[in-house]
Amino acid sequence: MMERSLTASLPMTLSNQDVDADLVDRYLAGDMSAFDELMIRYERQIYRVCYRFVENREDAMDLAQEVFIKAFEHLAAFRRESSLKTWLYRIAMNHCINHVKKRSQEFVEVTESTGSVPASVHSQLEEREQREYFRTLIKQLPPKQKAILELRINEHLSYEEIAKISGRSVSTIKASVFFALEKLRKLVKNPDLRKVRN
Amino acid sequence: MFNHLKAEDFINLMEGCELPARYRSHIDSCARCRATWESVQAMHAEVSSTDTDIPEPDWNCFRLSVRDELLSRSIQRDSAVRRWTGWAIRPAAAWALSVFLVAGITIVTVLWQTDQPPVLGPSDQVSENVSDPPGEVIEAGPEKSLFDEVVSLGEEQQEQFRQILLSRGKTNRR
Repeated sequence: MMERSLTASLPMTLSNQDVDADLVDRYLAGDMSAFDELMIRYERQIYRVCYRFVENREDAMDLAQEVFIKAFEHLAAFRRESSLKTWLYRIAMNHCINHVKKRSQEFVEVTESTGSVPASVHSQLEEREQREYFRTLIKQLPPKQKAILELRINEHLSYEEIAKISGRSVSTIKASVFFALEKLRKLVKNPDLRKVRN
Repeated sequence: MFNHLKAEDFINLMEGCELPARYRSHIDSCARCRATWESVQAMHAEVSSTDTDIPEPDWNCFRLSVRDELLSRSIQRDSAVRRWTGWAIRPAAAWALSVFLVAGITIVTVLWQTDQPPVLGPSDQVSENVSDPPGEVIEAGPEKSLFDEVVSLGEEQQEQFRQILLSRGKTNRR
């Protein structure tokens, strides 16, 4: 309801990009209602992207919050060469990839320092495997490849949009999706690969 | 001879893009490409099926938390800037104050000393009372005329000196 009422005031003839530009200008001028409108437009999309990386509501909320804070703090530096949507997705993708990398490093540090994987981590991994077999396979993809695959297949972004978000060509994105699917096929066919990676 | 399909071609096929007929005919004839395409399609379907329901948070709370966090960070940043400038100004202010104090004390001291009449010591008073300066002082002077020397002599010595001069004058005239 609130979403409708807030966006209804905007002229229908404006494109999404024009609406975003207007909201950005208003926010930068100190209009806090523009903040709410911008949040309503993108909070769900950004949260979903974050959720796909951490698969946990609280962590996804924390990640999405960080993404929005980063975006609003640097909104004045947004050069409008790309759309606001692309810009926000790019921030979200980079932030989530960094988060996943950091977490995987922490995991390696723990295993190296203790010499063995703690029982709690083992049980967590087993629970995840049991809970969702295929999602575990997807998790084993490199973060960037996983992000591209999820954005295309589950978030239904176009190849052109993903190319803009990741700063690569459309051909590269298509190839990346193909190789991600190929890697999944190999993981399904060869469970040993999966054990090694785990 | 037609080459095998590339990664991008498989994705275009999967996405239902219009491809030249030779691509289709190649897949029909090439077992390798057909197997790849089938596996890619199967994996695509698997990945699509994993799209589970994502639990949504309370968006109002979420928005509020983002707004609060933004506000608190901007306040922290402002206070950090203020603290930094405070620390930068404090030493400068202390230096300026100390320089001002030193300069002020010096100027006041100098002015006070110049305004005071010169204080005479006991030795100065004695020399004032004595009409004839001591011989050492005359000798130490830069230019001594004959007159000065004559003045400094006693009356008898002056008479003797006058006689000498007169006798010299007579011999010179001769």
